[in-house]
Amino acid sequence: MEVEERDPPSPERTLPHKWLPKDARRLYSENDGTEMYLSKMAEEKVRNHALSRTKDGLEVMGLLLGEVFTHQGREYSVVRDVATTDLEATPVSVRFDPEGFESLFTSLESARFRYVLVGWYHSHPGHGCFLSPTDIATQKGMFDRPYHTALVVDPVRKEMEAFCLRKGEVHRRKFLVYWDEYQNPFYGESVRSRKLNE
Amino acid sequence: MVVRVRIRNAETGATVDMELEGENSVEEIIEGVSAYWEKDPGAYVIRKGRRLLRGQQKVQDLDLTSSEELELIPDPEGGSR
Repeated sequence: MEVEERDPPSPERTLPHKWLPKDARRLYSENDGTEMYLSKMAEEKVRNHALSRTKDGLEVMGLLLGEVFTHQGREYSVVRDVATTDLEATPVSVRFDPEGFESLFTSLESARFRYVLVGWYHSHPGHGCFLSPTDIATQKGMFDRPYHTALVVDPVRKEMEAFCLRKGEVHRRKFLVYWDEYQNPFYGESVRSRKLNE
Repeated sequence: MVVRVRIRNAETGATVDMELEGENSVEEIIEGVSAYWEKDPGAYVIRKGRRLLRGQQKVQDLDLTSSEELELIPDPEGGSR
């Protein structure tokens, strides 16, 4: 598969995630771009999905739909959307409900771009963000390309982290949330100062 | 009856063409492409549009047309345990 050269989202439209654990923030000390850009819309879907099952303490899971590009010899992925379906979930495990695949495929069919599954997300409610032996087996078996990411969210501790494999070993992955111009909260508005009691 | 289809690996975007006979099962398709891409066949499913193709189904029962694209989708498992 040929990888297209393309500029990544500009630094003015990217931010580190607000749920990064403290010990992950050292990765973000330099503004040198990243290998994974997560769209604001996808980020909200992941976070809201995890939060929706917090009360039950159940895990959630889904697939990261995106594209892979290169920029100045460096490969990076852009997660534009996510897809999920009904799940077989417990507080410590999760997988797709076999009866839910057609709903998952409906989501995939409605993607408006030629996606690549650039990774997966799941939650560890109350347990923190890491890759368990089950997660590592999934990562090694399915998501072993350099651009593949495992995004883990803990909706109880309010933490989110990304991981990848390098030479078979699990590493933290720096990721940035990006937004398109139309998602800027001040898009299309001109802000004027005015005096009170005017 | 022989039908030529394209299988897309959703994890990479790579594709492979396969010539299938009516008697081939979906299970055999998954085994074939899993071997090609060095994947565990038990951890994948195949979709035709919105439809899940079930393992025991035969190609002759799938309404496949020539050059149709099927997609190999991972069935991941996660957990904090």
